[in-house]
Amino acid sequence: MKKSLAILLSVLLAGTAWAYVDDALSFAYEAAHPYVKLGFSVREDAWGGDLGVKDRQAVQAQLFKGNEYWFCLGTDVKRAVLSINIYDSKGKLVNGESLKPGRMTAVRVVPERTGSYYAIVTVLKSPEERTGWALVYAYK
Amino acid sequence: MPNMLHPFAAIVALTALTTTVLRADPAPESIDLSAFPAQSIDDVVVPVPSEVFVVLDKLGNPNWRGEMSDSLGKQTGNRAQVALLLGTVIAEGFIAVEAEDSEKVKEIGRRVLTLSKAINVEKAVLERSKSITDKAEVKQWLAVRREFDGALQDVKGAMQELGDDDLAQLVSVGGWIRGTHVLTSIVSKSYSPDSAELLHQPALLDFFSDKLSNLSSRRLSNEPLVQRIRKLLKSIRPLIGNDEGSTIPLDNVKRIHKLTGETVDAITLKGA
Repeated sequence: MKKSLAILLSVLLAGTAWAYVDDALSFAYEAAHPYVKLGFSVREDAWGGDLGVKDRQAVQAQLFKGNEYWFCLGTDVKRAVLSINIYDSKGKLVNGESLKPGRMTAVRVVPERTGSYYAIVTVLKSPEERTGWALVYAYK
Repeated sequence: MPNMLHPFAAIVALTALTTTVLRADPAPESIDLSAFPAQSIDDVVVPVPSEVFVVLDKLGNPNWRGEMSDSLGKQTGNRAQVALLLGTVIAEGFIAVEAEDSEKVKEIGRRVLTLSKAINVEKAVLERSKSITDKAEVKQWLAVRREFDGALQDVKGAMQELGDDDLAQLVSVGGWIRGTHVLTSIVSKSYSPDSAELLHQPALLDFFSDKLSNLSSRRLSNEPLVQRIRKLLKSIRPLIGNDEGSTIPLDNVKRIHKLTGETVDAITLKGA
């Protein structure tokens, strides 16, 4: 019984988290749209979840020297302000040009080295207790 | 009237202040990743094959036809082998796209469908397979490449929906092994430290090793092919360097090529 309840709860919680992501995803894709026009390919998969204000989430990615990337973040929560910053495996900031934090934001990265990088998502402010977010990236 | 303006002015001032605060609070130049809570770090984002091929495009003009396999492998009734084989076949699709070989691409599109059927995810790639054929016919190579990327994601997504996350990982690993096999072939033929650096993928190797060491199905975990791949990943790990930017010597590239080649043969049942 406990096990069934745990499974049911985990399914419900996962469902809630993914509903957040689904709603946020269209905003992440909208943030990525300008870069498609610049010849970038947007990956069809996405990452996301929900965070409280001032909470951070890291997404680890393998990036290749020779490519350039735009990491694009979005939320469906009006008046929420999110930021995205990219760090290398030593924790050094490697942001290129970036859009200011907001409901949709993006940052460009041109890796100097092939290796592991961390996209740090932060909810800077939000009218909601939990703010759903979605992240996509484009490359060329 | 001024009283009515006052709240508006306050909102404007507050907005301006907030914006200023946000702008005046730039991201720290460095962070301590070890202090970052482990639960706040998602699994590694596995790059799609196109990301590597885009870099290879910029590095020169390899003989892609020479890199294509004659055979798309034999299929057994073993689901682990089929999943791994599907990954290698999708990787083969990228090579055929680079070689601009329409017939081979179409053959691979059909093969993707057959293998997907064998592990119950045919529906997920039906449209992709058709699209691959149509776009290869008119030689829209960039679009074909995107369809192969999409096929890989669709297959994995469908498997995860069926609760077969283990098999989904095997598709990724199969694709990575064949991709690494061809990458090391190209890098070996015109070696430069810059091109060899493409092999520096420690987080990805650790991620795959971790996934294969923690498969939920004991039966799958005990499959000889899966055990072999665990050993392969362990053998490759010290060859790709720990520090970013450290040179990966030609000997290491050749060693990785040999190791991945033997594994591709085992997956595709070459010579069997």
